Amino acid sequence: MLAGATVIFLATSLALAGAFIPSIRPLLTPKRLILWGGLVVPSLGLTALVAGAFTLGERLLPRQGAETLRIEVVARQFAWEFRYPGTPVATRDVLHIPVGRDIDFAVTSEDVIHSFWIPRLGGKIDAIPGHKNIVRLRADAPGTYGGICAEYCGEGHAPMRFIVIAHAPEDYEAALTSEAAR
Amino acid sequence: MIDATSGRKILLLSLAAGFGLWAVAFVALYAMLSIGCAFGWDRGSLVLGLSLQRLQLLLLLGIFLALHVALVVGLSARQQRSDTATDRFLHSAARLAAIAALAASMFTYCGTVLLTTCNP
Repeated sequence: MLAGATVIFLATSLALAGAFIPSIRPLLTPKRLILWGGLVVPSLGLTALVAGAFTLGERLLPRQGAETLRIEVVARQFAWEFRYPGTPVATRDVLHIPVGRDIDFAVTSEDVIHSFWIPRLGGKIDAIPGHKNIVRLRADAPGTYGGICAEYCGEGHAPMRFIVIAHAPEDYEAALTSEAAR
Repeated sequence: MIDATSGRKILLLSLAAGFGLWAVAFVALYAMLSIGCAFGWDRGSLVLGLSLQRLQLLLLLGIFLALHVALVVGLSARQQRSDTATDRFLHSAARLAAIAALAASMFTYCGTVLLTTCNP
């Protein structure tokens, strides 16, 4: 993305320089500017972006694999509950995840529509009563991330936040065991 | 009978016909995609290993691409029958916009052929 933005910036700067540098001006005929600036360059850029979006979109689909982890997310006014299938653990407003694994979050709500969002990890998804929406996310570095409700859901909406703790794979099970012991 | 002013107004509208059709195709494909996913049309195969969902989307896309081509052909024929320089210019612009819209439809809706249609 940075490389693409740099190329576009340099090309635009060159076109702009043509207005001030007489030796470049003859190269920048209106026909060339329209053909390259209006058709060829945008088409190449858009094709690259669409191809990238298609490829990434397919990778983000929640296909069940051996490596995929699934966590149930239940939203209610004004808290988040996280359930970890295969364990009796349920945490409130604190989400534990392992680093380096695709995680499918199955998101639902018990009352009104909320929206589950961990901005640093990816896109948001609505939590709708009676319906499960799935979003696939992945943390590549251990640490703490902030999560919020991204859909106005009542007077307690603004403080309806949660903390995401991304553990190294070897520490993840220990974190769940520790939660179960509480 | 259509007088010159009304004819020019229709001609002005035809400038937006190509991308208007693109927008209608977008809404129709999006709506049918959602309906198909809600009814589980993506499960199983109906013909040649294609699901009902894929087939209905391909059919819809085919109809809209045919309409795009018909629009380009129709505008080309009208351009040749233009009387004045203004009409010729407007017809030419409308035809080029319709060609651009046809290319845009082929580009943006190619996902109908390639991509997974519903969440697994």
